[in-house]
Amino acid sequence: MSTAPTTRRFSGLSARARWVVGAIAAVTVLVALVVLARWAWGLAGVQDFVARYPGVATGATRTGTPAWVDILHFFNLFLMALMIKSGLMIHRTRRPAAHWTRRGRALLARSRTRPATITLEQWFHVSLDLTWLVVGATFVVLLFTSGRWVRLVPTSWDVVPNALSVVLQYLSLHWPQESTWVAYNALQMLTYFVTVFVLAPISAATGLRLSELWPKQAAINRYYPIERARAVHFPTMWLFAAFIVVHVAMVMATGAVANLNHMFGARPGDSLVGVLVFTASAVVVAGAWLAARPVLLRPLAALTGKVTR
Amino acid sequence: MKIAVLVKHVPDTYGERRLDPATGWADRTAGDQVIDEISERAVEVALAHKDQDRSTEVVVVTMGPPQATDALRKALAMGADRAVHVLDDALAGADLMVTATVLATALRPERFDLVIAGNESTDGRGGMLPALLAEMLGLPLLSALRTVGLTEREVSGTRITDAASTQVRAQLPAVISITEQLPDARFAGLRGIMAAKRKPQAKLTLAALGLEEPRPRTVVTSTTAVPGRTGGPRIEDDGSAARQLADFLADRHLI
Repeated sequence: MSTAPTTRRFSGLSARARWVVGAIAAVTVLVALVVLARWAWGLAGVQDFVARYPGVATGATRTGTPAWVDILHFFNLFLMALMIKSGLMIHRTRRPAAHWTRRGRALLARSRTRPATITLEQWFHVSLDLTWLVVGATFVVLLFTSGRWVRLVPTSWDVVPNALSVVLQYLSLHWPQESTWVAYNALQMLTYFVTVFVLAPISAATGLRLSELWPKQAAINRYYPIERARAVHFPTMWLFAAFIVVHVAMVMATGAVANLNHMFGARPGDSLVGVLVFTASAVVVAGAWLAARPVLLRPLAALTGKVTR
Repeated sequence: MKIAVLVKHVPDTYGERRLDPATGWADRTAGDQVIDEISERAVEVALAHKDQDRSTEVVVVTMGPPQATDALRKALAMGADRAVHVLDDALAGADLMVTATVLATALRPERFDLVIAGNESTDGRGGMLPALLAEMLGLPLLSALRTVGLTEREVSGTRITDAASTQVRAQLPAVISITEQLPDARFAGLRGIMAAKRKPQAKLTLAALGLEEPRPRTVVTSTTAVPGRTGGPRIEDDGSAARQLADFLADRHLI
């Protein structure tokens, strides 16, 4: 309940004032960086650098986006939105809307103790998390068996200068001519790689530590206390949210129709298929977001467990 | 069978509750206002009987300000058939006698087989209303029931007090009050919430009941806020902490 320490840390500003100040600061920094980059663009060395590293890392090419990528991408974004919503529900709830107790035998480990009771909000979050882990595992398996991993995993060090070059091109407003149907640029590659192979595992590992699924008597708990996991888990949500904001903004700013065709229509070109599928997906996500209320979650939770007050 | 359940809309015990210092009444603007938990259990007792015998009619009755409609709607969403709301500005600050008189007048013409109430509300905590009501209606009272058995002709149960638990029973019609040892109330589902909007809700004023403006016989003479907590003494261990702790407890006759 106590919000006093955070308020004090930010010198007594209200939440809204902090957002406004933060937004103004971010825009100011961005404008300053653009001015700096445009100045640097004129330097001869920079021109050579950009010519030498046009933006795509060596070995990142793999043409086409198959349908399974689009399908898993949809499930991922659907679950991600609801995971953020349910996580915030856990964060904000002072009085749980209900409690849920597992019915029947445990799925993973057989326990002699009484099954744990969790709140409805926790049940919702953990159910989404586990589904997301299945989707993620499917994605990783298909990624490596199909050979498409070269689009996401850097295999050469020139990914770093190429990414720098892309940053410079965007900031100096000389946006590169992209063909993400063929390969992601180095900056995209690094961002996606970190999100999929670093951020996602961290949020999963810390989330698992916080859940009732984690063994309470495990020896590793001494070195991996729950407080540490809690301190990391919530900020990972902010990183995911930041990724989503920047990702969606860039997708829309760099040829939205073509990009949506790749990721929602599994096709190149300028047809409206991608836009339509994306719109339908957004409607589904918004509907699920609004429908995620106790009155509908309770009967859903009752399918797998006992729902009590 | 026709069952009346008395429900009360009260300040939520989950948050901070206050008295209005001017009137001494519960402040109904501070924090959330909810249906009293014991009222929900009382509704559950009636609905459990309705589950067995579909011909049972469950009527929820309340006396309270306009917001008390929320409590009635919740009970209707759980499965009650209709609601009666006694609503009149002149009833603000009603004491137990006024409340019992008004509710008895509202209940009498309906000729209920059973009136179910909670043993006491979480705001007033008088616990006298069921007895007053039984007296005014001329009906037997089984109070503080831990279990309730209901047949066509008779209500029975285990009555608990600090001293003993007693098996009691009475011919219908009767008034009973229940304790929180009875089962938790069911959740209202989406279908129940939708159906509740179409269920009849009668609003009754004092004039409609044929009552004069009531004169409360209870007067609040003073109200005092609970003093805020102050920090206790702090004992640093300089070798004598155990003795200091023991002295602290001994001074307060705790050991």
